[in-house]
Amino acid sequence: MFESVKDNLAIVEGFDKLGYVVDEELATILFLMLRLQKPLLLEGHPGVGKTEVANMLASFLNTELIRLQCYEGLDVHSSVYEWNYQKQLLSIKIQESNKKTEAEKEEHIFSEAFLLKRPLLKAITAEKAPVLLIDEIDQADEEFEAFLLELLSAFQISIPEMGTIKAVHKPLVILTSNRTRELGDALKRRCLYHWVSFPDLEKEVRIVKKHLPNINNSLVERLVRVVQKIREKKLDKTPGIAETLDWANGLLALEYKDLNIEGIEKSLGCLLKSVNDIQMVKSEGVGNILKEIETG
Amino acid sequence: MHSYPHYSNYQNIAEATIGFAQFARNEGLNVGIQETQDALLAANFGTLDRKTTLNFALKSIFCTNPKETVLFESLFDQFWGRKKIAVNSRRVRKNRSNIQKKAANSVVWMGFGGDGDEEKQDSKNISGANKTERLRKTDFSQITSIDSELLEEMALRLWKQMSLRLKRKMKNSPNKGRIDLRHTIRNSIEHGGEMIELKRKKRISRKQRLVILLDVSGSMDRYSFFLLRFIWALRAHFEKVEAFIFSTKLIRITDFLDVKDLENTLRILSLKASNWSSGTKIGACFQEFNETFAKKVLSGKSTTIILSDGLDTGETGVLTSELGKIKRRTRKLIWLNPLKGMKGYQPIQKGMQAVLPEIDVFNSAHNLDSLLELENYLWHV
Repeated sequence: MFESVKDNLAIVEGFDKLGYVVDEELATILFLMLRLQKPLLLEGHPGVGKTEVANMLASFLNTELIRLQCYEGLDVHSSVYEWNYQKQLLSIKIQESNKKTEAEKEEHIFSEAFLLKRPLLKAITAEKAPVLLIDEIDQADEEFEAFLLELLSAFQISIPEMGTIKAVHKPLVILTSNRTRELGDALKRRCLYHWVSFPDLEKEVRIVKKHLPNINNSLVERLVRVVQKIREKKLDKTPGIAETLDWANGLLALEYKDLNIEGIEKSLGCLLKSVNDIQMVKSEGVGNILKEIETG
Repeated sequence: MHSYPHYSNYQNIAEATIGFAQFARNEGLNVGIQETQDALLAANFGTLDRKTTLNFALKSIFCTNPKETVLFESLFDQFWGRKKIAVNSRRVRKNRSNIQKKAANSVVWMGFGGDGDEEKQDSKNISGANKTERLRKTDFSQITSIDSELLEEMALRLWKQMSLRLKRKMKNSPNKGRIDLRHTIRNSIEHGGEMIELKRKKRISRKQRLVILLDVSGSMDRYSFFLLRFIWALRAHFEKVEAFIFSTKLIRITDFLDVKDLENTLRILSLKASNWSSGTKIGACFQEFNETFAKKVLSGKSTTIILSDGLDTGETGVLTSELGKIKRRTRKLIWLNPLKGMKGYQPIQKGMQAVLPEIDVFNSAHNLDSLLELENYLWHV
């Protein structure tokens, strides 16, 4: 499967063309994921681009992305399949005058036309191996995790009324987690693991430039330095890459050619999303942060 | 010092990979046959021609959390790097085991396997509200780490099961959740057997708050760390838990509990805890709680759990009246007292006696079973 991807460098290049800066480590792991056909578990802080990896992989491989957003209380009915009860009841009504036998009627209302496919079933029955993104798995309950375990090892789903459906093509599974709780060992051992950290200076500069080609070099570099300085503080919500991009965009819109105290204070809301954080940074003095990044 | 295995001792890269897998397993990474097999497969796909890619590939296969990656890096350096750079990893391992030791030590106090002398010493401690730093330290070292680790594992598993059971409750709901066929058919009778309305049931929402007040004064030392772990476990499995610790001062610890990993939480809290534990002023602390937090965290839906031995050095009148205030703001007031587990204990301290009428549930909290009993009370919340 996906033999056209020769090695990890091909992934780096391919992602680069799509506008996503991927380091060699992640590329290697993605490559292994294609070859070993194992799910990949991405953990990391919010806003470091975990979900985006799945998006990019889908476009890179030119295949469909099927996304399952996890939340507490997520169960089989909203993740795998559900019968379309209303339609079934109507159909029973319509067929009342019909000459068909009981068995035929039953077979009819439990046919695929009455089945509502939810993401997991969709992923298994897809024509071409899709990328299945199971987002924020840590939000789901342990019961769901256990169910997923079964799915990820056998890639099949059994529906009592229809029988077992086996995957035509194994989907490429990416799970993401913010570590709001520790995942079960059994699930982890079935996956490749990668911790996505905040990017270093050089990488983040590249990311901003990639998204905003018009921005001038000195602004980017100083801006990213400030962001990285701010990340070192103890914040309620540490800004992610998306926030950096928002902020850069904001500064461009305000037509700042370079960073100064006034500009930063005005646009701080792009970067920090909590009153406490903004107040803290302001009280510590934006000027001090600027001084710090000058001296390195 | 024994010598570490090194790739140069192996014939070819496949053997070296297996060797590394064994080495990693011995050093504490969770590497089984499946992982080794994957590593060999990875080798086949040509990821092993450079050291960096080899590192990336093996890391993703062998590690399951950020902590392990740190250990992995040092093992990798030792095995695949130039020879003799063993010092670094020793340190990593040592640190790690220190953390574990500390964590394990914190489960000490439960009277599991304690001998008679210890018991005697303990009861002596309880009678005074003061305890020195030194005595506390000796207590910690008396339990073998094997016992406490086992106990800890058991506790976490049981608590997890308990919260699962609490989660499984279902209730009827107008438009969300799975179809409740039984209810639907029953309901269809009024339409002459036509199932027009679909009745559904959904998982009960656990919006109720749990407010926990933990006594960390000197007299509670033998229990407080373990109870802290209990609170942490509740925090991990219940939606809304507000936690406070008190001795002579009240401190809100809900935010610290948010830290994902338990060892870290305990470390932070133990740093803070060393400052207190002189006497206990339960009344004054409850007063502070009522003035500062009660309005925010207590509502008609909340259940309040107080974990304390009730040995108060303040005035009794204050305690009773403040507890009364808490009682009026909460649905259920539970007092868990570790002393109640002791044979022949009667709540005769004046503090405890005065508050008994205000309490809905008065129970012990001296061992795992007594904590698990809490499930019955939470169920009906």
